Amino acid sequence: MIKVRALSKAFGGYDHGSAEVLALSDIDLEVRDNEFVTVIGPSGCGKTTLLRIIAGLIPYDQGEVSIDGRAVIGPGPERAVVFQNFALMPWADVLSNVAFGLEIRGASTDQCQAKAKELIKLVGLQGFERRLPKELSGGMQQRVGLARALAVNPQILLMDEPFGALDEQTRRLLQEQLLRLWERERKTVVFITHSMDEAVMLGDRVMLMTPRPGRVKEMINVPLGRPRSREVEKSSAFLEIKEYLWDNLRAMQAGDA
Amino acid sequence: MKTNLARDWGPRCVVFAAIVGLWEFFLSHSGNFLLPRFSEIVSGAYRLVFFEPRFWQALFISNQALLIGYAMSVAVGIPLGLIAGRLRWMDRILNPYVGVLLALPVAPLIPIVIIALGLGLAARVFIVVLFAVVFITVNTRAGVRGVEASLIEMAYSFGASEAQIWRRIVIPGAMPAIFAGMRIGLGRAITGMVMVELLLVATGLGRLLLEFSGRMQSDLVFATILVVIIEALSLLAAMQTIERRVARWAPDISVG
Amino acid sequence: MTPETVTEARSIARRGIAWPRGLRRFARNGALEILALAGGALVWEALGWGLRLQWLPPFSKVMEALLQFLHSGVILANLGSSLQALLLGFSLSLVLGLIVGALMGRYRYVEKALDVYVHALFVCPSIVFAPIFFAVFGLSDASRIAIIVVYAMFVMVINTSTAIRTVDPSLVEMARSFGCRERQIFFRILLPASLPLVFAGIRLGMGRAVKGMINGEMLIAFVGLGALAQRYGAQFDAAKVFAIAMAVLIIGLLCNALVQILDNRLTRWAD
Repeated sequence: MIKVRALSKAFGGYDHGSAEVLALSDIDLEVRDNEFVTVIGPSGCGKTTLLRIIAGLIPYDQGEVSIDGRAVIGPGPERAVVFQNFALMPWADVLSNVAFGLEIRGASTDQCQAKAKELIKLVGLQGFERRLPKELSGGMQQRVGLARALAVNPQILLMDEPFGALDEQTRRLLQEQLLRLWERERKTVVFITHSMDEAVMLGDRVMLMTPRPGRVKEMINVPLGRPRSREVEKSSAFLEIKEYLWDNLRAMQAGDA
Repeated sequence: MKTNLARDWGPRCVVFAAIVGLWEFFLSHSGNFLLPRFSEIVSGAYRLVFFEPRFWQALFISNQALLIGYAMSVAVGIPLGLIAGRLRWMDRILNPYVGVLLALPVAPLIPIVIIALGLGLAARVFIVVLFAVVFITVNTRAGVRGVEASLIEMAYSFGASEAQIWRRIVIPGAMPAIFAGMRIGLGRAITGMVMVELLLVATGLGRLLLEFSGRMQSDLVFATILVVIIEALSLLAAMQTIERRVARWAPDISVG
Repeated sequence: MTPETVTEARSIARRGIAWPRGLRRFARNGALEILALAGGALVWEALGWGLRLQWLPPFSKVMEALLQFLHSGVILANLGSSLQALLLGFSLSLVLGLIVGALMGRYRYVEKALDVYVHALFVCPSIVFAPIFFAVFGLSDASRIAIIVVYAMFVMVINTSTAIRTVDPSLVEMARSFGCRERQIFFRILLPASLPLVFAGIRLGMGRAVKGMINGEMLIAFVGLGALAQRYGAQFDAAKVFAIAMAVLIIGLLCNALVQILDNRLTRWAD
């Protein structure tokens, strides 16, 4: 279980001569085991900062962040991150990229290869093991990123706008693939997005954030059953939540557009 | 493919013919007896390479300094660049010196190096290092700086140690720039080798060059220059081939 | 032309001696750099006094020699001759470099015809051409100007042609869609868009021109600062040789600053 209590984080102030910017203020969040929480908010609301703090990539100023009762002081084996820009090593082929996390965690070469091949198959990239990232489409690249994260078999998957850089069709295909994977493995997922469809389609709960400083506006339950398919997009519950999100986001962004 | 080759090399050959033609035309009208005809340069090169035993000796002597000096430049330049690229404070300490070394004219300092190290191999090696090392450092540093922060973060998120980040991310990511620096450094090293031999330490190819010009054998002078140019270009071309292989993964930004 | 040249140009240009913009950052960041330089000078001074080597005069002695040069007018007299050649050689390579570079960037045929030669002349050690120029021009100013040109010109050709070739094609398309003619496209789009990279080349060319100046003077034309360095080198007067190297270094930095100021004025929009 991920527990975030009264978390605050400020940037800047040091070295740049500018005033501090409060990125996150007084965030409370609990993510239960096997739960899929999506986080949505306008740009600048600190959603990516929150995810990076949970991942242990950056320190926080105040509050508590813990996983199963243990405070987060850095990255840990129970968590894996999927990055917005894929973060694939351009010099390494698909197989090496997927095996990277395993190798870092000290698995034997044979084990790494076997596990990596298994996951490449799982995300539907068999036959591409020896390709370099630049030879793949964006969607395929992110499937490599997903396979790399899943390969270390984490309890918690932290996804930072993973499909944000992809075109609409690819994004929908990957959403469906992620749903099927999740329904089978039931990882705990924190998923950052700026797409309302994506937030409602994937999440058990949607966390809505406000910008400057980043705060939790509301946690919204998504009363849609599992397994989910595209059909739910037509349901009134889906449309209602989406509309509710839009009303809020529009109010937040009214001055910015 | 074949038509491509013809299209590329057609104009190049035309330019080459034009240069040779202009050269011959210039000679027949200037009456400058110091300048050899193009054909004389070619036959001079032929004689130099096949019938002049001292040529191979000179080539060996020159390249000795080049090889040792270049190896030392690589051995010093790359670690310095790696450190400067990753440690901010070290970078700031090295920065002014790199700036000075980039702008520093090395040639006037050659006599000082000679006083310090004598007229032997050591002085020539040192000058080669002085010419080459800063370019290797600068490019290595730029390569390390150019490694995407998100990749380092990704490795960190999997719990990678600093040593693992170096070995798995920073060094492979900086490899293309390191090799580019090694290629530029090689060019500079060759410059240093020629410069020191022409200016003060009369040995190797430089000595040969001075002797030929003293005896007004200008066809051999030009032939020696031609050989130096050919050596430089082939070494650099070989380096570039290695570099391409190393940087195969890098995004292809070359145009045309 | 290879992309490495561009990265090289960019990396060195960035790395280079970016004074004016650096000055602004100076107050905040300069302390450690200054300390490093001062520390180096102190170490030099201490070693100079401590080791008493002929080739390592204390830093203060070098400075003294430099001041003496300035005072007695020796440097100024030779400087004039050197700077004149530098100015002529650099202007010539600038004009030639920009024209040839622009043609190569704009016309594929010109590029194909010249690229191997330009690249070869760029990468091979320019100093080997000194004997050739000596044979052609003799002991005249033309020799040292020609040396400066081979030193400085090709990096500018390469950067200019790469700059023009890599201008965002959508900008050119935009101009076409508004009915621009070739000439307008060149002056309104290609020229300004390629300016930052062109300037990086000019800055590199300037640095190389200064080196060509001093090397040419030492090797073929025995005038100017190079001749001075040559003379004191033959006398093994290390303090004076260091002082001349320092003077050339300062000239190089000043020329660089000049180009940088121009660059900042003209390409303010770039990063």
